[in-house]
Amino acid sequence: MSGPSLVLVVFVGVLVACGVTLLLERSLTRILLGIILLGNGVNLLILLGGRSGAPPVVGAAPTAEMSDVLPQAMVLTAIVITFGLTAFLLAVSYRSWYLTGDDEVPDDIEDRQVVRLAERNEAPTTDLGGEGSGGDPEQVDPGLARRRDRGAEGPG
Amino acid sequence: MLVLLILHLVAALVAPSLVRRWGPRACYPLALAPAAAFGWALARTPAVAHGGAVVETYPWIRQLGLDLALRMTTLSWLMTLLVGGVGALVLVYSARYFGPGSLGVGRYAAVLVGFAGAMLLLVLADDLLLLYVGWELTTIFSYLLIGHSTERRSSRWAAAQALTVTTLGGLAMLVGFVMLGEHAGTYRWSELSAARLPDGATLVTAVLLILVGALSKSAVLPFSAWLPAAMAAPTPVSAYLHAAAMVKAGVYLIGLLAPVLAVVGPWRPVVTVAGLVTMVVAGWAALRQTDLKLLLAYGTVSQLGLLVVVVGAGTPEAALAGVAMLLAHALFKAGLFLVVGIIDHGAGTRDLRELSGLGGRAPLLATVAVLAAASMAGLPPLLGFVAKESIFAAFLDQPVVLAGLVAGTALTVAYSARFVWGAFGGRPGLAPTDVGRIAVPMLAPPAVLAGVGLIAGPAAGLLDGALRPYAELSGPLGSHLALWHGLNPALALSALAVAGGAALFALRGPLAPVLARLHVPVTGNQGYEWVIGRFDRLAIEVTGATQRGSLPQYLGTILLAVVVVPGGSLLTTRPWQEPIALWDTPFQVVVVAVVCVAAVLAVGARRRLTAMLLVGVTGYGSALLFMLFGAPDLALTQFLVETATIAVFVLVLRRLPRRFSVRPLRRSRWVRRAIGVVAGLVAAGLAVAAGTARTAPAVSDEFPEAAVTEGYGRNVVNVTLVDIRAWDTMGELAVLVVAATGVASLVFLRGRTGPRPRRPDPSAGPEQPGQGVWLRGGSTLSERRRSLVLEVVTRLIFHTVVVFSLFLLFSGHNAPGGGFSGGLVAGLALAVRYLAGGRDELAEAAPVSAGVVLGAGLGVSVGAGVVALLVGAPVLSSTKVDLWLPLIGDFYVVTSLFFDVGVYLVVVGLVLDILRSLGAEVDRHIEAAGRAGGLTVDRAEEGS
Amino acid sequence: MSRLVPLPVVVPLLGAALTLLLAAWPRAQRAVSVTCLAATLAVAVALLVQTYRQGPIVAEVGGWPAPVGIVLVADQLAALMLVVSAAVTLCVLLYSIGQRQWETGTTATPVAIFHPTYLVLTAGVTNAFLAGDLFNLFVGFEILLAASFVLITLGGTETRIRTGSTYVVVNVLSSMTFLTAVGLVYAATGTVNMAQLASRLDALPDGVRLSLQLMLLVAFGVKAAVFPLSAWLPDSYPTAPAPVTAVFAGLLTKVGVYAIIRTETLLFPDGRVAGLLMVVAGLTMLIGILGAVAQSDMKRLFSFTLVSHIGYMIFGVALSTVAGLSGSIFYVVHHITIQTTLFLVAGLVEVRAGSTDLRRIGGLSRVAPLIGVLFFVSAMNLAGIPPFSGFLGKLGLFQAGVAVGGVLPAVLVAAGALTSLLTLYVASRVWNVAFWRAPRLDTREPTVRLPALMVGATVALVVLGLTLTVVAGPIFDVTADAAADLLDRTPYVRAVYPEGTP
Repeated sequence: MSGPSLVLVVFVGVLVACGVTLLLERSLTRILLGIILLGNGVNLLILLGGRSGAPPVVGAAPTAEMSDVLPQAMVLTAIVITFGLTAFLLAVSYRSWYLTGDDEVPDDIEDRQVVRLAERNEAPTTDLGGEGSGGDPEQVDPGLARRRDRGAEGPG
Repeated sequence: MLVLLILHLVAALVAPSLVRRWGPRACYPLALAPAAAFGWALARTPAVAHGGAVVETYPWIRQLGLDLALRMTTLSWLMTLLVGGVGALVLVYSARYFGPGSLGVGRYAAVLVGFAGAMLLLVLADDLLLLYVGWELTTIFSYLLIGHSTERRSSRWAAAQALTVTTLGGLAMLVGFVMLGEHAGTYRWSELSAARLPDGATLVTAVLLILVGALSKSAVLPFSAWLPAAMAAPTPVSAYLHAAAMVKAGVYLIGLLAPVLAVVGPWRPVVTVAGLVTMVVAGWAALRQTDLKLLLAYGTVSQLGLLVVVVGAGTPEAALAGVAMLLAHALFKAGLFLVVGIIDHGAGTRDLRELSGLGGRAPLLATVAVLAAASMAGLPPLLGFVAKESIFAAFLDQPVVLAGLVAGTALTVAYSARFVWGAFGGRPGLAPTDVGRIAVPMLAPPAVLAGVGLIAGPAAGLLDGALRPYAELSGPLGSHLALWHGLNPALALSALAVAGGAALFALRGPLAPVLARLHVPVTGNQGYEWVIGRFDRLAIEVTGATQRGSLPQYLGTILLAVVVVPGGSLLTTRPWQEPIALWDTPFQVVVVAVVCVAAVLAVGARRRLTAMLLVGVTGYGSALLFMLFGAPDLALTQFLVETATIAVFVLVLRRLPRRFSVRPLRRSRWVRRAIGVVAGLVAAGLAVAAGTARTAPAVSDEFPEAAVTEGYGRNVVNVTLVDIRAWDTMGELAVLVVAATGVASLVFLRGRTGPRPRRPDPSAGPEQPGQGVWLRGGSTLSERRRSLVLEVVTRLIFHTVVVFSLFLLFSGHNAPGGGFSGGLVAGLALAVRYLAGGRDELAEAAPVSAGVVLGAGLGVSVGAGVVALLVGAPVLSSTKVDLWLPLIGDFYVVTSLFFDVGVYLVVVGLVLDILRSLGAEVDRHIEAAGRAGGLTVDRAEEGS
Repeated sequence: MSRLVPLPVVVPLLGAALTLLLAAWPRAQRAVSVTCLAATLAVAVALLVQTYRQGPIVAEVGGWPAPVGIVLVADQLAALMLVVSAAVTLCVLLYSIGQRQWETGTTATPVAIFHPTYLVLTAGVTNAFLAGDLFNLFVGFEILLAASFVLITLGGTETRIRTGSTYVVVNVLSSMTFLTAVGLVYAATGTVNMAQLASRLDALPDGVRLSLQLMLLVAFGVKAAVFPLSAWLPDSYPTAPAPVTAVFAGLLTKVGVYAIIRTETLLFPDGRVAGLLMVVAGLTMLIGILGAVAQSDMKRLFSFTLVSHIGYMIFGVALSTVAGLSGSIFYVVHHITIQTTLFLVAGLVEVRAGSTDLRRIGGLSRVAPLIGVLFFVSAMNLAGIPPFSGFLGKLGLFQAGVAVGGVLPAVLVAAGALTSLLTLYVASRVWNVAFWRAPRLDTREPTVRLPALMVGATVALVVLGLTLTVVAGPIFDVTADAAADLLDRTPYVRAVYPEGTP
């Protein structure tokens, strides 16, 4: 088997390249366009897995000359799935615009908090309701404390 | 033995309800569980007295070599007695220790009984893995007990510290066990001890890991810090866990393994050094304490060090002396803790600077305390003395160790004296402390323990008989336990130790400044806190570095992984060397050129519409390529899908800002482009490499015949979709249905789940009607602004198009077409209808809810499959039905047609749903915004 | 018997169709969903029994013999996964019905979202487990992903849209990778039938074969959240509604792990990437658990432990011994159950205390003892405290690692032990803060009476987790059998091609 022809391979390469570049943007619209480009590239890549030839309609051409059917079926499935997801992502970006006024994906808030913590040298335990024994005078002498809050531990 | 464990479990489970009914008094009945264990072990004495063993085995997990293998020999017999006996006494004691109204007694009782059960499992387990189970359970229960007064930070912290430290050791120990067990092929100690040990490195590692576990559990340096901190626990807990039971687990393990493993290289050095240092340092620290409980705690650490040295020595004499000391220590130390508990309970303090004259006030209590303390100091005729004598005797041949032991003992004598003096002595200028009358259930347990220590001394002979079998595991045993061995070096050494201790106590005044200054520079707790602090810091740093929270970075990482990992291995295959044809037909070149230009421009486009149209070009372009490739169905579908996509885009883009916002992404732009280019190269390379690697024939070569003979259709692609690979298509329908549902769910959000009103922000500028919305016609297409011509045309063509779509559907089996193309055509017809006539027109054209259409479609397709299943054929299998109708005559229907009808319906439903939400509903939003004037859409939404 | 195999997919899909048609009748919807999932569970159990007795069962869809048509293969691994996932999804469904937030949340939409989507999600998961065809595996993934997209953006609040976008885009990219890999596999071998691929891939030149293997690994690695492909998970999961997070955390990542197990054993048996797998497994464990230490919100914290413990399963796969695989499979079963339970408990905490943020809540063990017990048992189970299933799974993996010997496995065992310790550390921290310290709630009017159905479902799952310990013996027999079958591929292949691979 000779494999795919160069020009189609170039098609795949260019579309994937452009798709990926768009994918790395922040605007959902661009990301979505990137996905579509990527999808077109990948679809052709799959199609290249089988041989080209006459339309696969029995009777129209001898079986031996027909193009490979299985990749076509797979691509068809992929196309339609991509369409569904495209519609959904468009709804997401509309919703995002509706709520925030743009369709960009901002950084995760909680993560940024941790990152900030990492940049300023802060004691993490302070996040956790001051857990940790830090300077607790009653480290090992609950007796004294108990006289303050009797009943916390029975006797008295 | 299993029965006993189950008994403890049940008792633990019922404990809370009992306490709820009877209050702390419920501890009396609960004490029966450990008491039963004690009684049982006592009854079994004959069985183990002469080196026999009581064995019970139940299978559990064959694959892991983890069975409920229980085995009681001399050592475990002794431990069972301790665990059961002290456990019962402590529970009795607790019944009065806690006031009727006090919190958490239910949990306390349950956990304490559970702990007793876990401890029992630990000492009775023969399977090392089972021993580990008990081991960790005791850790967890002790965590809950130490943290008893949960709302005080110190006790929470102490609990966590004990948990972390002992679990650290426990896990190391587990790995050690696994190393031994995997080598020997069994985890039963009874078999392991007989099996051949692994060779050097493995064995050494395993032994060291196991020792880490044992030492951490027994609070031997460097793991001691958690035990003094654990004094935050209620005193009965300290008496049980930190004197008699849990801290002895480590000693028990060392005692269990020593007869076999003591010969291994690092064993003796480790136990001896760690033990001696612990004994001396902790003994010294005990002299500095003013809190009686802490004094005992440090004393316990010191004594544990002693036990580790002796029991770990692995000589028969030391073994005998060790177990005697184990027993003695449990008796006097538990007793002393309980005494402190009584003082604390009565006087409200444990600080020896605040106590005075208790000796006179509570003579009985004082007697008990003195007896126990004397045993601790190793004075005749108590058991402590007997044990100490034999220890000295056992180590006469090792002068260095011996010196350490004597020094440690001297310290022990000193702090014993300090304890008695501190608790009961009189303080000039301090009013005598009053402890009120001491309830019998509180005084009895310590009295019993001290009493046993008193009797056991003279009766050492009996004890000797019972304990010998264990010692003899390490070899022929020369010595034996007795109160009086005559005048010998050991006696002299005890005398020396007592004298030294007395001197230390007498000189406490002059020594005070030395004591104050001379102590470990960093206390264990500071060390632990430092480690935890550093560690949390590390966690923050690492997480801050790896978890940036930015989507582009995540995608970049994934793409890099794709590029580097599979792409890297691509380099070895050198796809660029493959000879491949330049093109199939020249026309391809034209199309590809156009598409590539469009794609590149799309990347740079600043306007949303432009970018979208350019991407559309690539879509239509690939449709053409499909055509040239010989895939008409694919081309048709691609063409229709692309059109539909553009339609949907237009519906949404009319609301979004006209241009992409210019972000400061310029610096990262080149990175992104680089990733893109490399990804493209890798994709192309893989396509070539994989395509040229093919040697085997494609499975699809058989499809055409199969399509005609068994699929009854000539359009092979369609037959593949609705018959050969109908299962894929079914899944695909599910995806479409869900996607449609999702679109609706996002657009049709109102009221409660809608956004709260927000102040109008600058970014919300473009959505005001008139300015910024570039598709004016579409933005608000209300009755008064509809174009007559377009409507008329639509009216004329609509039904024709729908009929055509049905034709595509039905002819699809034999000619290009089928459910997808048909459905899309019908959908586009609806879209045109909507664009022409607005949402009312849409409602008129399709008066059913999108959900129903989707559901019906999915139902029909899946149903077709199920019907086949019901009639006994494989799922989704199809057949040919010959029919005759007037006018048409003979014809046949392939049942897979029904499946295709389902496909048709789902696609129509999807498009309808999109038009309903992104079309009609968004129109409503727009109008609402229009009505609300300057306000943001959100506020208007609230109003609507 | 092969009649049963398609049902775990078909029944939920039919249910989805019905619930769509019954949109107007919420009660009927609920009845349908519950019935479908219960039926699925029953079928799954039957399949497990059968496969254990008589080996893999194959169903040829549409009567098309492999490799022409699609085959569904239920071997012990698949059947076991089916049982666990069905049980878990059923419990979560009941829980969510108890919570009722769907009915209230989405009344305005033309189609009642939750039930159909949830059923489709289940169908996707089961399809992925049963797929005997690489492309169909892809379709299975697409089904469950599409459903998960809808569920994670449910309610469409600002946070959910933000985190949802991340989730969607990342997963779309991984699907693209997967799809590309499938296309390349077909290009190189001319088939997508897994049993046939088993032999055809062996015939390929090494470089190509390795590229395909790694490509699939990356695709599945993203879904299974293996470091460094895991960062998306803790950002997206915690913000979804509690039941959704629970079922995601429990199931979706495990489908990825399942795919890795399947492909690494059936398609690429020679452990050529074992080293790579071990390294990423170790990193996943440690980096994940460090992330958990750094968190101050319960749900996020458990998302990180989720990532971290994926490392254990990958470790077992990398060992590619019977013991290792068996351990992995058991760990998957355990982890599905326990992680789901923990998120359900977190949901209860949220209902009771108004938040899961450790900075805002406390003292729950006094305020809500039942939640306390449920949490403590589950947390200890996750931390691998014996005798819970977490310990057993870990033990199996340790034994396997030690048995293999060598430096890397030893390091991995050490890393595993450390991870287990740190898991306990974070668990105790959550307990100390949220349950032990002085009570404080993050809500004015706390819900004192929790919905019975929510509590019931959670209790059921906790009990299921404990049962795993009790019947660990039989389960380990199954997992060991499954592992053995996976390693010598013949049972699978012969089940698909009784008379030799074409």
